[in-house]
Amino acid sequence: MAAPLVLVVLAAVTVRAALYRSSLAVFIAERVEVASPLNAWKRVVEGLALLDLGVSPYSGAIFHETPLIIYLFHFLIEYAELVFMITDVLTAVALYLAIQDFNKVVFKKQKLLIELDKYAPDVAELIQTPMEMHYIPLKVALFYLLNPYTVMSCVAKSTCAINNSVIAFFILATIKGSAFLSAVFLALATYQSLYPLTLFAPALLYLLQRQFIPIKLKSKSFWLYTTQYASLYLCSLVVIICLSFFLLNSWDFIPSVYGFILSVPDLTPNIGLFWYFFAEMFEHFSLFFVCVFQINVFFYTIPLAIKLKEHPVFFMFVQLAIISIFKSYPTLGDVALYMALLPVWSHLYRFLRNIFILSCVLIFCSFLFPVLWHLWIYAGSANSNFYYAITLTFNIGQILLISDYFYAFLRREYYLTHGLHLTRQDGTEAMLVLK
Amino acid sequence: MAAAVPGASGARATAALLLLLLLLLGCCGAALAGSPQDQAEQFFRSGHTNNWAVLVCTSRFWFNYRHVANTLSVYRSVKRLGIPDSHIVLMLADDMACNPRNPKPATVFSHKNMELNVYGDDVEVDYRSYEVTVENFLRVLTGRIPPSTPRSKRLLSDDRSNILIYMTGHGGNGFLKFQDSEEITNVELADAFEQMWQKRRYNELLFIIDTCQGASMYERFYSPNIMALASSQVGEDSLSHQPDLGIGVHLMDRYTFYVLEFLEEIHPASQTNMNDLFQVCPKSLCVSTPGHRTDLFQRDPQKVLITDFFGSVRKVEITTETLSLERDVAGFESKFPEEELATEPLKYAEQLPVAQIIHQKPKQKDWHPPGGFILGLWALIIMVFFKTYGIKHMKHVF
Repeated sequence: MAAPLVLVVLAAVTVRAALYRSSLAVFIAERVEVASPLNAWKRVVEGLALLDLGVSPYSGAIFHETPLIIYLFHFLIEYAELVFMITDVLTAVALYLAIQDFNKVVFKKQKLLIELDKYAPDVAELIQTPMEMHYIPLKVALFYLLNPYTVMSCVAKSTCAINNSVIAFFILATIKGSAFLSAVFLALATYQSLYPLTLFAPALLYLLQRQFIPIKLKSKSFWLYTTQYASLYLCSLVVIICLSFFLLNSWDFIPSVYGFILSVPDLTPNIGLFWYFFAEMFEHFSLFFVCVFQINVFFYTIPLAIKLKEHPVFFMFVQLAIISIFKSYPTLGDVALYMALLPVWSHLYRFLRNIFILSCVLIFCSFLFPVLWHLWIYAGSANSNFYYAITLTFNIGQILLISDYFYAFLRREYYLTHGLHLTRQDGTEAMLVLK
Repeated sequence: MAAAVPGASGARATAALLLLLLLLLGCCGAALAGSPQDQAEQFFRSGHTNNWAVLVCTSRFWFNYRHVANTLSVYRSVKRLGIPDSHIVLMLADDMACNPRNPKPATVFSHKNMELNVYGDDVEVDYRSYEVTVENFLRVLTGRIPPSTPRSKRLLSDDRSNILIYMTGHGGNGFLKFQDSEEITNVELADAFEQMWQKRRYNELLFIIDTCQGASMYERFYSPNIMALASSQVGEDSLSHQPDLGIGVHLMDRYTFYVLEFLEEIHPASQTNMNDLFQVCPKSLCVSTPGHRTDLFQRDPQKVLITDFFGSVRKVEITTETLSLERDVAGFESKFPEEELATEPLKYAEQLPVAQIIHQKPKQKDWHPPGGFILGLWALIIMVFFKTYGIKHMKHVF
């Protein structure tokens, strides 16, 4: 499997290099869909230039990157393009290895459940075979590297690529089963952008499953492992934050990075839901609604944990999607990360109900983003409502996509245990609905 | 002696009689000449010596065609009655004539069947498109304009000016919308007029507004010598007159349409007064109830001529004396002696030393991360590495 992966990597690198050299690079770098105030390349350069002039980059409201990014780019700024290409390749390779391992786990679990007769007799066609799972890791790498969203994000040199790579390594570490590495990478991911905090729950569930510790609230080993993992995570987070203090000898970066993410002061349009709402909001209510919106991101973790405790990797996928839809400054790079994981669940295709309409909506909206931006900002014949409408439609498409996959997943699980042909009490054919 | 006295007294009496007669004649004459004198008196009674007009259309976009047509029709009437372009400040969005949706480009019609093109090629728009803002309007009125503003954009009125202010667009109770992005309130407008009064920028002011709920805009005026007319009362909408199916939009508003019909009959010498203007467009024709306000105005509206505001009737004094004007040629010649200075040919200063920049060495970075940080970071990384892969690999490294 290495050779096709190398080919894919080469193709991706060529595409990116070609785009870097073309005139599109400048155009893409300015697009708000890929460059948000949190991860725009212009701001990184600005921050480093301020540092060269002896001013703390966090003193203005321009720079919102973490000190580790300052450190990384201080030495690598001349090779920025290479750095981003390598980051993308690393992300893809990490996802490839992770999904390869995950497939093995899935297959083992399936075999176990078949031998334990947990499955209904007529579900042979629903069971995944190694043949069809063989190409999934390659497809995941392909989906990530050649996704136009990723390519645009890379050409725009948005540091979202680095966030994605850290999350990909976290996924790899979790699936390999190493609690320590998983905690370290999760701490790094949380340190970079606050929201991967919610990925703590699926990682914990997966590691518990891997150690064969049952998830019962009364079980001592459950709590022991949980506290171990949580303390590893918190310790590494504290260590990284304290280390960042020593870069500039100040705690300035905490309000600049985390305060900025949480309080959303910058209302530059992006593909998210926050900017328009808060542009219209009266000052009096803005605190309340900021809290409501931020809680919305973290809110789905617990119900999903309860429902999907047997399937933590799917939970991780849904959680990633929720983060990239509801975070305060989403970009297309975040969307690309969870879309890369879609081939893992390609066996759910027969249960997806709206996939055609949703893919049309997403593609359409992606094309309309620059059109309506141009009409609003340059031609002046539209206004912000138009752009916000497309943002809304895009997010609705994403939400419906995730809930469709959720429904399909649960439906397949139900069929596996209860058989394909469900009948109601009176013998007529029954249909599963998501209540 | 005795004989001369009666003659003298007789002569005195005759003289006195003649004087009396003359006085009487004089009085009669004066009485007879009462009507031209009255006329002359009336001629000078309004007290103004020049006329200005500020015509504002506060809407943009194609479907607000009628507001532009309103303003341009009033502009045409006011020009016809004598106010020159230099005394008219015309503020229009001016996006009708060359709008891609206009089936007859370069025209703006005010009557259906395209009878009257009010655009033509001699329209002088002073504030065009995005310059029509509340700020610019208030600056024009109060005269607080940056020194770089050209004369055509200024309202150079004085305390003997009669000003006509006509505004049209979309309005509401107490405000008027400007270009779909901001509003002017009736309080702001009243304060602007008070500033004008205190700066002696007008003698008398006529304010006409044709919007929905237009009467609310003149409710707050408190400066003297202002007369105001509006097309509808508070709570009523001003309606448009008629659509033209060829152009596809409504061409004029009702109130302005009937005001214009009224103005068509006015010529510079007409004696029609303001009371007639108040009767224009009754509710049966206009659907809304036009209103007016005259309590701040010092003269009786009956005595106020339409041409006091809409026209520019000059006061002309006719004299039969001849005046000779001689050219003073001698003074001019010695003013500007020719100066010969030996000057070097001028050239641009070296602003961008390209050669220097190209060969510049890259700047040394001034900031370096502190050593402690780097040490700590790499120590952590190495610790994580060995924790994961086990200490036994160390021997492979070394």
